[in-house]
Amino acid sequence: MATTGLSIIVITLFAPLFVAGDSCVGPSVQSKYYVTREAAASVDTVFIVEFQLTCKNGLKNMNLYADVNGKLLPVTKTDDSKNKYQVSYSDENKNLPAGHYDVRFYDEEGYAILRKAQRSGETNDSIKPLFTIPINHPGVWKGPIVQSEFIAVVVAILVWYVAHSAKSHLQSDK
Amino acid sequence: MATKSGKQKNLTKEEELLLQDFSRNVSTKSSALFYGNALIVSAIPIWLFWRIHQMDLYQSGIIFVIGTIISTYLVSFAYKNVKFVLKHKVAQKREEAVSREMMKKLADDKKMNKKEKDERILWKKNEVADYEATTFAIFYNNALYLVLLIIASFYILKNFNPNINYILSVGTACGLLALFSTSTK
Repeated sequence: MATTGLSIIVITLFAPLFVAGDSCVGPSVQSKYYVTREAAASVDTVFIVEFQLTCKNGLKNMNLYADVNGKLLPVTKTDDSKNKYQVSYSDENKNLPAGHYDVRFYDEEGYAILRKAQRSGETNDSIKPLFTIPINHPGVWKGPIVQSEFIAVVVAILVWYVAHSAKSHLQSDK
Repeated sequence: MATKSGKQKNLTKEEELLLQDFSRNVSTKSSALFYGNALIVSAIPIWLFWRIHQMDLYQSGIIFVIGTIISTYLVSFAYKNVKFVLKHKVAQKREEAVSREMMKKLADDKKMNKKEKDERILWKKNEVADYEATTFAIFYNNALYLVLLIIASFYILKNFNPNINYILSVGTACGLLALFSTSTK
């Protein structure tokens, strides 16, 4: 009886350690990202984040989820052996203005908590992500504000105006 | 004109000179200036359509040459008209200053009589007016031609095929220029 009680205590104490083996301990990421820089050839702004995840407990091939700008997306595994992942997000240019964006990553456990929180109408902020990748979006370039032909027309009209006023001054009777 | 001069016998040399000074005919020197300038200004659209509207210089060579020739003719026509209109006005405006200056210059010359001095003044006045009207006509028409050309080729005809754009915009620019030059106001 005493051994049974002891083993229960041991299991209760140490079981969480084994369970924790399913989640990434001390994640470190090497990431790079792409953001759309100009709107002349594109309609939407796109964020593409690529990263290599290393866990201290050597966990690989995880199912990850990303929270970009308040939207949850599944993360694609691009290279299982090297633990590489990629996630992309796109929206209209006006919905993604220039600024700093934090892409928050969750494992399955965190994702479940997040969904639960969303269902009950709570904010996501209290839920700690596994890791975060910051994105600096400098904004899209929409081309020059004034077209060069417009400047040419304005200059030409100005010169003509000067010429015309000089002409009417010459032709006036005074 | 011929019948009139026949009736009145021959005009004096002075009258002929005066008539020539204020006629629509231009001297060879200013005619060369007009055609040279008109050619330069008419050739500018070639650069525009070659470099910016991406037309091929050799393939569209014939259009360019014909367009430039017609445009040169019409632009120089406009120069002549504007010069003719302006010359009288310029002569009136500059009359006082020119005669004052000439009188000052000729004051010391005791040998010259009044008539000769007046002639000199008239001649100088004509020269000043001719020069000013010529250069101003070139400046004014060039400015107007380029305004018309840019507006036509970049705004009104921008969605047309470059060949048609060239023909129509150069045609519109020089046609309107010639038309505007016929107005006397």
